[in-house]
Amino acid sequence: MRLLPFSIFLAFAAVSTMSSAAEDADEAALLLADSAPMAAQKSSAWRISTEGSVGRTRQRFGLDDYNTVRGSLDVYYDGIISPGWRAIFADRLDRSFLSGNINNTTINTLKEAYVSWHRRDDQIIDFGRINAHYGVGYGYNPTDFFRTSAIRSIVSIDPNTLRENRLGTAMIRGQALLSGGSITALYAPKLVDKRNDASFSPDFGATNGRNRWLISGSRQFTENFNPQVLVFGGDGQSAQLGLNLSTLITNATVGYIEWSGGSSKSRYDDSLGINGERHFRQRAAAGLTYTTSNKISLTSEFEYNGAGLTKSQWAAIGNGPVASYFQYRNQALDYLDLPTRSAAFFFATWQDAMVNHLDLKAMVRFNVQDQSRLNWLEARYHFTHADLSLQLQHNSGNRASEYGGQPQLQVIQTLLTYYF
Amino acid sequence: MKVLPFFVVSWTIAFFSMAGSVAEAAANTPNAQTILAASDAVRNPEKSFGLTATLVEYRGGKQTDTSTLAIYSRADKSGGQYRSLMRFVAPLRDTGKLMLKNGNDLWFFDPNSKSSIRVSPQQRLLGQAANGDVVTVNLAKDYHAEVVGEEEVVDGERKKHLAYKLALAASAPDVTYHSIEMWIAQETNRPVKAKFYTESGRLLKTVYYRRYQKQLGVERPTETVIIDGLDPQWVTVMRYADYAWRDVPEAWLQRDYLPNFQPE
Repeated sequence: MRLLPFSIFLAFAAVSTMSSAAEDADEAALLLADSAPMAAQKSSAWRISTEGSVGRTRQRFGLDDYNTVRGSLDVYYDGIISPGWRAIFADRLDRSFLSGNINNTTINTLKEAYVSWHRRDDQIIDFGRINAHYGVGYGYNPTDFFRTSAIRSIVSIDPNTLRENRLGTAMIRGQALLSGGSITALYAPKLVDKRNDASFSPDFGATNGRNRWLISGSRQFTENFNPQVLVFGGDGQSAQLGLNLSTLITNATVGYIEWSGGSSKSRYDDSLGINGERHFRQRAAAGLTYTTSNKISLTSEFEYNGAGLTKSQWAAIGNGPVASYFQYRNQALDYLDLPTRSAAFFFATWQDAMVNHLDLKAMVRFNVQDQSRLNWLEARYHFTHADLSLQLQHNSGNRASEYGGQPQLQVIQTLLTYYF
Repeated sequence: MKVLPFFVVSWTIAFFSMAGSVAEAAANTPNAQTILAASDAVRNPEKSFGLTATLVEYRGGKQTDTSTLAIYSRADKSGGQYRSLMRFVAPLRDTGKLMLKNGNDLWFFDPNSKSSIRVSPQQRLLGQAANGDVVTVNLAKDYHAEVVGEEEVVDGERKKHLAYKLALAASAPDVTYHSIEMWIAQETNRPVKAKFYTESGRLLKTVYYRRYQKQLGVERPTETVIIDGLDPQWVTVMRYADYAWRDVPEAWLQRDYLPNFQPE
């Protein structure tokens, strides 16, 4: 009889203690908030960063290992120059020093330089060099039609970095915005015949070596269904169709598919200038991104290139003339295209990985035809104004394979990026 | 790509997205749903607007992150929700990045790579996001409210208020918070404090709405203090400034517009 009132007392005391602890925690939090500095930062049209890196590359096939040191300056301007007129300028300068007998290099990449006229809220005309990126794929973008020959300097193989550090294409682009949709048309004229590898060349030969055009349209049919359709064409090629579609599958999962198709020569015939047969060939990237509750995002992507070589064709050219083999490989790389018919791609990110401000990334590219593999890891710590990162890359596979055939066996580099 | 904790962005949007179609509470009739809708209206301008949100995060009593966002919101005619476009002003590494939110339709745009990526509500592209917060923001629409008491409650500025204590139960299937306790001042319909719970009853966050100021014609909270349910020393302070009526055209709120968004 005496226990019951006592247990009630204990329960009441426990609840009271918990409640008091919660109130104390709230009071401490509010005190912290009272002293919070709250000066809102003002928006700036300029974004400037510098980056320094040191690294070491281990090579195979009897080639010497070498060290690298790089310094880079990245400048971005996005501002309104008069009512309705916006100017965008993006440029990157990379200066690399390599040990051994390899030449040091200075490469400037004029990424963008264009003006944008907002004629009305729903009509926009852009003119100049524009990085016109398309595609929902993560590791492979068949509808990113202006990706070819656009990379002058590779500072990281992170797919996002590759999309970022590249030449735009000189074009005029118009966009009409509709309610729940838009139509974009662009024309990129031929400006220069040949590419120019000089350090400070804008290299319009790489991006505007022939006349090209593109029309794209998108429509929001439902909240979760917003396809984008593209038609792309140019001198010396048939029109190519494209489709981008992504959708929310669950609260934590996004699915996507990117597809292009049209009549074309095989990549091999194209790279060697062979007047081969044209067929309807398709390219695609389809994948899923799943995010866990503890901030890990996992992307798995299947990639297909109907213009790439089959397993037997790939093995055959690996045993054929060396010049043809490298010409093919180099064009596939330059066009950011798959050299073989299919590949698998995995990407994982973990934000605040065990330590606040530490992000981890891991990437695997797997060639389904030759079983070769590229593995890449990055650990990046964010300071207030700077990022410090360590990147590791390893290529594996047999000598004639996509990744095993690369002279670089292993690359390690550390980077310090400072944002002004 | 670590910026502010993204849940904070979510909160920012949640804060300004709880649009209620009922602007006046029936003060003498403690109808829970009406009180909740009136409380939503206190927080949310009735038409399209813009503002700047500054966010400071503390862990263990130390400041660990700060960031600033410019937010443009448009009232959705059909659902009573706001649809928003957010532009990151700070930190520097994320300046210019955009997030578009149309209900469950979330897009992230990086001006450096020109990539637009669909984001799942759980995906964290910017810090420790909980995008789920973003997509379940219309309390009056997504929750069934019940008055469970009238209590004297201490607000974020340590003042006492007589408040309705509402228990909110999720009525929509995809909401992040299974249930919410909310204290709403009886005299003014101002939200004072709220606690957000998981389905298992675990406290996720405690939120104080404070520093009421007249903004766009109504006394509105210009600061929220968010205290993590698991780690009370994880505190996020969000302050809103530069309120302005702003035309946010319908045409802006789509993926293909993001590369052409004109910052001001």
